[in-house]
Amino acid sequence: MTTERPDAGDSGSEKPDETAAPDPAANGARRSKTRLAARSLGHGFGDGAVLEDISLAVEPGEILAVVGPSGTGKTTLFRLLAMFERPDEGTVEVGGDDVWDLPEARRLAVRRRVGMAFQTRSLFSTTVEENVSYGLRVRRSWSARVRDAVEGLFGRDEPSETVRDALRTVGMFDKVGRDAGSLSAGEAQRVAIARALAPDPDVLLLDEPTSNLDPRNTAAIESAMRAARDRGIAVALATHDMQQARRVSDRTAVILGGTCIESGPTDAVFESPDDDRVRQFVEGKLVY
Amino acid sequence: MFALGDLNLTYLVSITAVSLYVSTAAVALSAALGLPISLAVGFRDFYGKSVVTSVISTGMGFPSVVVGLVVLLVLSRSGPLGTFELLFTPEAMILSQTILALPVLVSVSLSAVQSVPQDLRDAAFAAGGTSTDIALLVVREARYGIVTALLAAYGRAISEVGSVLIVGGNIVFSDSTSFTRTLTTAITVEARKGNIETGIALGAILLALVLGVNALGARFRDRTPGRNGRGR
Repeated sequence: MTTERPDAGDSGSEKPDETAAPDPAANGARRSKTRLAARSLGHGFGDGAVLEDISLAVEPGEILAVVGPSGTGKTTLFRLLAMFERPDEGTVEVGGDDVWDLPEARRLAVRRRVGMAFQTRSLFSTTVEENVSYGLRVRRSWSARVRDAVEGLFGRDEPSETVRDALRTVGMFDKVGRDAGSLSAGEAQRVAIARALAPDPDVLLLDEPTSNLDPRNTAAIESAMRAARDRGIAVALATHDMQQARRVSDRTAVILGGTCIESGPTDAVFESPDDDRVRQFVEGKLVY
Repeated sequence: MFALGDLNLTYLVSITAVSLYVSTAAVALSAALGLPISLAVGFRDFYGKSVVTSVISTGMGFPSVVVGLVVLLVLSRSGPLGTFELLFTPEAMILSQTILALPVLVSVSLSAVQSVPQDLRDAAFAAGGTSTDIALLVVREARYGIVTALLAAYGRAISEVGSVLIVGGNIVFSDSTSFTRTLTTAITVEARKGNIETGIALGAILLALVLGVNALGARFRDRTPGRNGRGR
């Protein structure tokens, strides 16, 4: 049974609840209109259900923290939201469209409005610049890609302003020409987030992006999350770090045992949770 | 004029050229057929996948004379491809070498493709890549293994004797130019005649060729930055 606060994300409306999120237009930034919602999601592997009846939404210009202990289904949920596979039950909606009802070409277009970074190291064996520009390259026509490749052979492949901006957002601009294999874990994670940000997505999914990272890299990634939110991007963060969820998120959804137990404004969820299990979990007394 | 025993320069150049032509064409054909097979098998899980990979691995041990005999039957006048009149031509040798090189190339490149972490494919998908983009990324990530597969296939092809003797016929024209004689089959001729020194000289040329091809392959393989490279 999910407990939802009055201003929790999945209102069922096609229009985003803009009152719940900071206004990025205030600083002249881009304003996204896309919300990502999961409705009654259920999914399993083999005989076991991993997720059951999960409904939540992330609105433009907000950070939604999805918290829960390791192994509770957060990664499976995020993979469903990123359209890696079709859920066994329920729907994933981007901008009001059920993505699995769309023809493949339109689903690809919708998928390209959603960026994602993973918990594990996932940089390609090339330079930082080429990693960050990957999403931009795959969106170009084949003829443009061939032209770029030929120009690259003659050394005319300066980083685009988009790539520079994405790297600046994560504080990695000075590493633009470095081999990705030479980066530390934290730097690699920051570059992975820059890669997700470079195509200017409407939605950014971050699956445990700061697990096992040092405070400096964690702070840089949290700063990038806030910058993305301030540009109107809907940011969803999966984490088991309660303090991080409190620091950065506007709303929080708590997942225990594959089910969303409670969701609502972060302060309310942490300070006065409705559900006893959530209270015990945020106080560190419920160990899974 | 240059001569080494019974050998002259024209003869040496022509058997070397036939060796290079036949082996290069066979490896190119194997790559055109084998890389898509590696990607298809490496990417997908399907019923009987382990049987398919076992068959591919078994193919690496195909006895070359058996392959030569089968190709001989297929290309002979009464065989299914007899109308093409390919028997005792370089093209027949290319066919038999392709059959021998293909399993080597597929097996090694399949291993390379499968070693590309799933996380990287997921990252390409999440960045908006299509299945073609992801396949290209996997080829790029697996380039070390794929170049190794090409070199292994080239080694198998250029060192081949049995099947090219059977389907090529080891033919040399009266002006000492080779039609289907390669460096390897020339070595067998010299050994049979007791010209061991000449055979060793031809072997040295063959080794130099293999070394050159490997050096070229390694140069290409190491050209772009990798996980442990220095980058720009």
